[in-house]
Amino acid sequence: MPKFFTLLFKYKAFLLFVLYCSIALFFIKLEDEGAFDQLSAGGSEFSAAINEQLIGYTWLLNVRNENEQLMRVNRDMMMTLLKSETSAIDERNRQKIGQDSTFNANGFIMARVVDRKFSDRENMLVINAGWSRGVKQDMTVLVPQGLVGRVIAVSENYAKVMPIIHTDFKASVVSDSSNTMGILSWKGGSEGFAQVEHIPISSRLKVHERMLTSDFSTFAIRGIPVGRVVRIKPDKLFYNIDLRLAVDFSSLTYVLVAPLKIEPEKAVILNDSTSTQIP
Amino acid sequence: MLCIVTFVQEFGLSRFTLLEVFPDALSVFLAFIAVKKGQKTSTTFGFAAGLVAGIISGHIGLHMLANTSAGFLAGFFHTPDDSHATIKQKITRFYGAVMIAGFAANAIMAVGYNPLGLPPEYRIVTLGVLEALLSLTLAILANQLFLRKSFAD
Repeated sequence: MPKFFTLLFKYKAFLLFVLYCSIALFFIKLEDEGAFDQLSAGGSEFSAAINEQLIGYTWLLNVRNENEQLMRVNRDMMMTLLKSETSAIDERNRQKIGQDSTFNANGFIMARVVDRKFSDRENMLVINAGWSRGVKQDMTVLVPQGLVGRVIAVSENYAKVMPIIHTDFKASVVSDSSNTMGILSWKGGSEGFAQVEHIPISSRLKVHERMLTSDFSTFAIRGIPVGRVVRIKPDKLFYNIDLRLAVDFSSLTYVLVAPLKIEPEKAVILNDSTSTQIP
Repeated sequence: MLCIVTFVQEFGLSRFTLLEVFPDALSVFLAFIAVKKGQKTSTTFGFAAGLVAGIISGHIGLHMLANTSAGFLAGFFHTPDDSHATIKQKITRFYGAVMIAGFAANAIMAVGYNPLGLPPEYRIVTLGVLEALLSLTLAILANQLFLRKSFAD
């Protein structure tokens, strides 16, 4: 027994290290299970509030007002544009205009980007709109130029946004001319370019075609511009597509948060493969 | 002091990115604690620093793991008060601890989280060395400004 205690005393720094590492690993496991969501939201709120204060000092009041006014104009124009583009696609495909109950342009929330981190350790945006203004997880974030990302965490006054240029980001996209569908992803590298996956060799996709969010997306409303095809390289079964993103992430100041796409029937039918009829 | 350094790191230094990496004030702080106070203290400080940094920026467990390891490894550079090491030797050990702590913290973060989808070898080796060098620069600056006196005591 004394030998054991001697050994314990001798290696106590190492044992302490092992203990702390075990706690850290346990925390990682708990995090994966979502046990710290509330704590993370609190941390984000605090962090974003400080960042907003820091950034706020650099803003001149008149410039901010002018930007807000311009953003409102942009928002109205974008709503009109999105509506007409969606209508055009609908007409071409012989679908009835106005059938899309998921698109409600009036419910857009305007928010300012108060923090942005793009490093090897963190890659996200923080906007100054949280659940107090109606922002919810999985809402689409966009600007008049195109899709920005998706809300992944919300606190009372702030929300964290996972941008397109994040390796975990995926969205269903469709080309405007050939109606080719694929999955938007970002595999690292330049923040101006993304990739589109799962486009078969047989597709008629051409360079310079515009890609928009599709109806298949589980979170984004359709018709939001994503980018333009700049390179098509054939692989064995699929094309490797490079896309020049429509949004310049280095100069984002204001964004819009689109209303949550609610399709309960779609969710039910996707999750429940056994049912044959949905009332 | 720990909280101040963590805040400076999260709200200040994390914005000075060079090739996606930034100097790590926490590594410098942990290295200083390690050299002055020993391995157990630096490991505990690393654990606590990771907790605070994790709450602020997310990924609590990973930050805890990275900073605990950084503190532990930096602890090998501990110089006891009763040692006959000169100031120059202490400072050299401090710089070594900074390099090791910075590299280790970056490597563990790289293994656990790779938001930019960078190749693992580039992320761990190239950016790890770059981050360690940036942290070393910060350590040299801190030493010139106010740490030298502490080492002389």
